Amino acid sequence: MSLLQTGIDALLALGLVWLAWRALACPDLFRGIVLFIAFGLLMALAWVRLEAPDVALAEAAIGAGLTGALLLAALARLNRIAPAGTRADTREAWRNAPALLLVLAGAGLGLAVLSLLPEPAGLQAQVAAELGRSGVSNPVTAVLLNFRGYDTLLEVLVLLLALLAAWSLEAEPPRREAAPGPVLDLLLRLLLPVLVLAAAYLLWAGAHAPGGAFQAGAVLGAAGVLALLAGWRLQPHLTGLPLRLAIVIGPGGFLLVAWALLLTGRPLLEYPPALAGALILLIETLATLSIAATLAVLFQGSRPAAEPPA
Amino acid sequence: MSPVLLPDLPWEALLILLPLTGAAAGALWPPAARAIGLLTTAGGLLLLAGLGTAVADAQTLRHAVGGWGAPLGIELRADALSLVFLTATALVGLGVAVYADSYFERSQARGFWPLWLFLLGALNALFLSADLFNLYVTLELMGLAAVALTAFSGGRAALSGAMRYLLATLLGSLVYLLGVALLYHATGTLDFSLLTQRLEAGPAARTALGLMGAGLALKTALFPFHFWLPPAHSSAPAPVSALLSALVVKASFYILVRLWLELFAPLSGLEGAGTGEVLGWLGMAAILWGSWQALRQPRVKLLVAYSTVAQIGYLFLAFPLLTAAGLPDPAAWRAVLWLVLAHALAKAAMFLAAGNLLRFGGHDRIPDLDCVAQRLPLTVAAFALAGISIAGLPPTGGFIGKWLLLEAALLQGRWDLVAVMLLGGLLAAGYVFKVVGHFFTPAAAGHAARPVPAAMEWTALTLAILALLLGLAPAWLLPWLDLAVGPGPAEAVP
Repeated sequence: MSLLQTGIDALLALGLVWLAWRALACPDLFRGIVLFIAFGLLMALAWVRLEAPDVALAEAAIGAGLTGALLLAALARLNRIAPAGTRADTREAWRNAPALLLVLAGAGLGLAVLSLLPEPAGLQAQVAAELGRSGVSNPVTAVLLNFRGYDTLLEVLVLLLALLAAWSLEAEPPRREAAPGPVLDLLLRLLLPVLVLAAAYLLWAGAHAPGGAFQAGAVLGAAGVLALLAGWRLQPHLTGLPLRLAIVIGPGGFLLVAWALLLTGRPLLEYPPALAGALILLIETLATLSIAATLAVLFQGSRPAAEPPA
Repeated sequence: MSPVLLPDLPWEALLILLPLTGAAAGALWPPAARAIGLLTTAGGLLLLAGLGTAVADAQTLRHAVGGWGAPLGIELRADALSLVFLTATALVGLGVAVYADSYFERSQARGFWPLWLFLLGALNALFLSADLFNLYVTLELMGLAAVALTAFSGGRAALSGAMRYLLATLLGSLVYLLGVALLYHATGTLDFSLLTQRLEAGPAARTALGLMGAGLALKTALFPFHFWLPPAHSSAPAPVSALLSALVVKASFYILVRLWLELFAPLSGLEGAGTGEVLGWLGMAAILWGSWQALRQPRVKLLVAYSTVAQIGYLFLAFPLLTAAGLPDPAAWRAVLWLVLAHALAKAAMFLAAGNLLRFGGHDRIPDLDCVAQRLPLTVAAFALAGISIAGLPPTGGFIGKWLLLEAALLQGRWDLVAVMLLGGLLAAGYVFKVVGHFFTPAAAGHAARPVPAAMEWTALTLAILALLLGLAPAWLLPWLDLAVGPGPAEAVP
């Protein structure tokens, strides 16, 4: 490893710790969120350095981008309910933090990590051996959608559950935004087609290169968030069943595939090798749609207006 | 056991898929959510019967998800231990579902059913998983569903209780996940049976045990990690409180039991006994602190919530009890499984009864309970029966469980455990009868009463009667528990 690379790694590591500390310790929530987004971007770089481009993509799109947008949206709502002066100081929790305990736990953990073998006893060999039967050639997608597809089924359901949880809380009447300025309007006209195209590419590329449903869904969801910011709203006749269908079709389609395979006498989620590639593409396409719709709706917060308040 | 009465179906896969599909369908088409919710919950009981006969034949069922098998794929496993927890889930779940159908207003109920089915599916998936990372995913699904249900009524107390619960449960999951990462790095597998073969004592195993133990203890609300439980369990709607106290805290306890019995305790040179002692001390502290706090509470639901803190303590008393060979004592673990079933049924009945009191009088302040014995006799009977089981008085399920645990502690001369168990029993009797006493007295100020639907009274009573019956049917249950934790002392098997 060259000196330059070592220097970059050291900068990354120090920067991550510093940003994490600043994000936690800063009294202003807005600054905290911005620092958190910066932390996510640096984290994505760290994943690149660890040669995990799939994770880096997911971290940048979801960890930094959409989570940051969701936090900012939540802060905007919080400021309307309880303006900054009326809230408890967020640093309060840190004053009471048992610092010594944390340091001891961190030291113990460090010792355990140092004691580990340098080469992990991973499953790379088995993954490589079975990759031919998985239906895709990107090992990460093979693990996520085939070898451990059951985990992914549950994760996709977690996202649906998160939206239902947000909806079950008291819905606030949607806020009326000002019309978008000329800059946002122009930016949107340029960016939206690019984002949709990028999402489609990420989805398709997932079969053989870094990418896949979560990254594609996050990019498509970001397009939705931008459109919402510019004042775009779903037509009222689409906010009922059509919207719910878009949200449920990802996990629902995955579940239907599981049922269909189970009914043909196979174990849970065992794809016939000949169909594996097609089934994975189908599941990922539906999941991309649902992830995008869910993230955009979560950003808006409350249930779309035309929905009966049920 | 029985010849093939039921067709040979992949019961374990169906038990997971059915509720999750019901949840997605209910989210897609809310008008049908109620019918889907009730049918799916009831259907789970049938699937469980199928799984039970299959496990009786084969002892341990394994299902390779995706057809890959461990270590590449995830495996499901059904055995007697998972069956004990699945049975508690199915029985309490059905009772609470029937109760919730009357409890929530029609428009509110549409939101409740998908969340409940998510929780049910996550619990079933958790009890059937044989993979450490998959267990983490099920923990996340379960935790999020539980938090959403806690906040469901939307009041200020419920929201802040749910937020605290969310932070605690997330922290617990992450700490658990850190332990999983260490074990995977050291052994190259996430599967329980492969880990049993490959894991060696060392700093990685020791740290993993500490991390996973701490994370799961936080999620199980073991003293002193119980701080999130009373506000969350007491501010949630009554059917949700019942689910949280009866089932959700048991799920993380189940993982801890699995890890302990299969991975860490048999590991030579890990000083497993030391960890067992610590868990035992915390259990004793939980019994004393939880019971004492319960005795001091002015409101029924808070009292019942603190009683959960105390009863969780009993479950941890089996950790320090070891056989002569230094291995976990099967007799003690059999007692703990009994207590899990008894506490699930009795605590659900108590929370449902508390919900009836709240609906009836509009409050649950203990001194202001106004002659409810005459007006809500079924609810009062349910609360009293369940309370008797919680206090460990005969002839209830709680009595048998505590008796077995006491016996195991006495055989090993652990007088400290014996003393705490007896003291905890006295305190429990104290707080139960404190409430029951106020059932019969008129309050200083009478107030308007709202009618309580019959279904809400009967479900509470049915669960309490089940807790009672558990005490009358030891011969039927003991063989299952022996299967679950290994054979007990020969003379105890009927």
